[in-house]
Amino acid sequence: MNRIFIVAQSEFLTLVKTKAFLIGLLLMPVIMAGAIGFQVYAQKHSDRDDHKFVVIDHTGVLYAPLSAAAAAFNQKNGTGAVRTGPNFIPEAAPSATPDEAYRLELSDQIKKKALFAFVEIPASVVDPNVETPPAIQYYTETPSYDRLPNWLEQILNEQITKSRFGQAGVDQALVKKLSTHADIAMMGLLAKKTDGTVEQAKKVDQIAAFVAPFAVLFIMFLSVTSTAPQLLNAIIEEKMSRISEVLVASVSPFELLLGKLFGVTGVAVLLALVYFLGAGYYAIYAGRTELVQPALMGWFVIFLICCVLMFGSMFLAIGSACSDIKDAQSMMQPVMLLLMVGYIGSFAVLRAPESNLALGLSFFPTSAPFIMMLRMAMQPTPPLWQPALALAITLLTTVGFVWAASRIFRVGLLMQGKGATFAEMIRWIKAS
Amino acid sequence: MAAIEISSVTKRFGTYAAVNDVSLSVPEGAIYGFIGPNGSGKTTTIRMIMNILLPDAGEVSVFGRQSSSSARDDVGYLPEERGLYKRMPVRRLLRYYGQLKGKPLKDIDPVITTWIERFQLGPWADKKIEALSKGMAQKVQFISAIVSKPRLLILDEPFTGLDPVNADTLKDAVLDLRRAGTTIVFSTHDMSAAERLCDRIFMIFKGQKVLDGTLDEIQSTYGQDTVRVRVSGGRAALADFSEIESVNDFGNYQDLRLTSDPQAFLQKLSQKTAVQHFELTKPSLHDIFVRIAQPTAEDLKRSVGGAD
Repeated sequence: MNRIFIVAQSEFLTLVKTKAFLIGLLLMPVIMAGAIGFQVYAQKHSDRDDHKFVVIDHTGVLYAPLSAAAAAFNQKNGTGAVRTGPNFIPEAAPSATPDEAYRLELSDQIKKKALFAFVEIPASVVDPNVETPPAIQYYTETPSYDRLPNWLEQILNEQITKSRFGQAGVDQALVKKLSTHADIAMMGLLAKKTDGTVEQAKKVDQIAAFVAPFAVLFIMFLSVTSTAPQLLNAIIEEKMSRISEVLVASVSPFELLLGKLFGVTGVAVLLALVYFLGAGYYAIYAGRTELVQPALMGWFVIFLICCVLMFGSMFLAIGSACSDIKDAQSMMQPVMLLLMVGYIGSFAVLRAPESNLALGLSFFPTSAPFIMMLRMAMQPTPPLWQPALALAITLLTTVGFVWAASRIFRVGLLMQGKGATFAEMIRWIKAS
Repeated sequence: MAAIEISSVTKRFGTYAAVNDVSLSVPEGAIYGFIGPNGSGKTTTIRMIMNILLPDAGEVSVFGRQSSSSARDDVGYLPEERGLYKRMPVRRLLRYYGQLKGKPLKDIDPVITTWIERFQLGPWADKKIEALSKGMAQKVQFISAIVSKPRLLILDEPFTGLDPVNADTLKDAVLDLRRAGTTIVFSTHDMSAAERLCDRIFMIFKGQKVLDGTLDEIQSTYGQDTVRVRVSGGRAALADFSEIESVNDFGNYQDLRLTSDPQAFLQKLSQKTAVQHFELTKPSLHDIFVRIAQPTAEDLKRSVGGAD
């Protein structure tokens, strides 16, 4: 027991006492913030080109308001260096009826980049007697750019509706007044207080509903992925430099395995705690004390420990069975896949936390720690039997994986030369 | 009591017997040399002594105890060349290896300090292993094997790749430990080192014991058929003698193995060329090794990939 602790302690210090660990610890939130910041910035600043387009207006009434709307749009985006969006520059087609040759001519101009797109508006779109008006044709070389067609659709439809109501003799001001939009507000539930009065439902807030649960899952994922896979490299280094021989001359392979697993689990828990303290401090600082839930932390730590032990033992088993990093990299793909199941599944679970998929993932051993934590941080909280069952499944699987890994580890650690296949590893597990 | 007692031990990997019915007794306080070609079963034998591997048949006991972790704590092990964490500082690594042997830090620290001073590693004590030269790393590795003050020290190729100064430093250390009562087993391919240092020599070949005894005992078994000669004309002058079975050419002199009487050969030789030196010698360990292992050089090529 004492030696397991000595191995764990050394493993822990080796991982924590590196510059890479400190940099990674600080860098991860910075990278995350940077990525989000960049997206916001890119959305605002990347699309600042002039988009010139020709409008072939068969109705004869839509071009003028469209042109005015474009001018207003451009003005709102500002000018010069502070401009935050594209400029839409419409141009009316010559009044003569456009033919094939003209459309071809416009297409050529688009290819030469002299023009961005052209739009053809059929005359019947404004006819109040037509039940299904024909589509407005938008011709472009870059169909992935949807800002201009979306804007056109909105502006043109406003004008088309206006024109139809006008032709039908309905008062514009009345239409506007009668067709105001009613919003929907997402509310929580009412609850009975201890003194018998009813606590009113609160407006659901996005941070508590989505951001906080996802943060819990993400911290779990980050803590596992930045620690457990390191065991693979560590064990291969030990094997290649014959350190493992020295070690098993002093401790049994099982003690070594457990020591390494405990050391790395310690690092994962430390990592998670640092992130939670950071997030908790920020939540309290921002006046969102209710987001800090100590009970959830208890579950989190237990699930995290299981998760690191489970994946750590898989990585150790693979590392001990391989003789170089290249071998190991291809063998670790299936394990990485198992590790990703929970993370990828979380997006679907966030949207439908009580679906069958969510339930399945909550009880599937390698995704249970992630998905169960996510659901426990969400509303409605799952009934207690669910996390209890998930924990039982996770614990059993963890014990199973650690046991199997110890069997592989015992044989693989001293094998030099060719790496083992999965079939051989299974044989080692079965061998007495 | 013997430090190591191996009785009728067999270890198989699949159908291949890496060690086949080997018995060996290493007395306490001796320096025992393990020799044998690569792939002959040396490492397997050593691993069984260290309780890393368990024999399929037979028994291995160290200081009278069979494969228990308490006996393992009395054994220090220096693997060939490597065996150190590149990114760990010297002192931390030595403390770690000592603690793994079940020794408290208060016992380990003075030993580390003594040996670091002796090997003049003071300025490097808090540097990482990767910053050390090969010679220094080898010394650190040596300290790591003896930091727990083992009663039995197993050294695998301890002197390979060392310059003469460093090699002497380590040899002196080994001899000092022997004087202090430590039993030492070392495996080597350096036959002259084995001749000079070892009290007894054990050779394993194709999993079987082929030599075991003092150098004198072994040499007398292999007879007095070797002569060392220096003649005008060197090796070329030795051609055309049918009684020469083999020549080991050292440049300035040649060791010959004869099939006939040495005196008759001397007469014949002196008729042909000027003999400057003629000495009846015992075969060197090198010759004996080659005599045993050579016929199967082809077999060895095929067994690449096995444990050495």
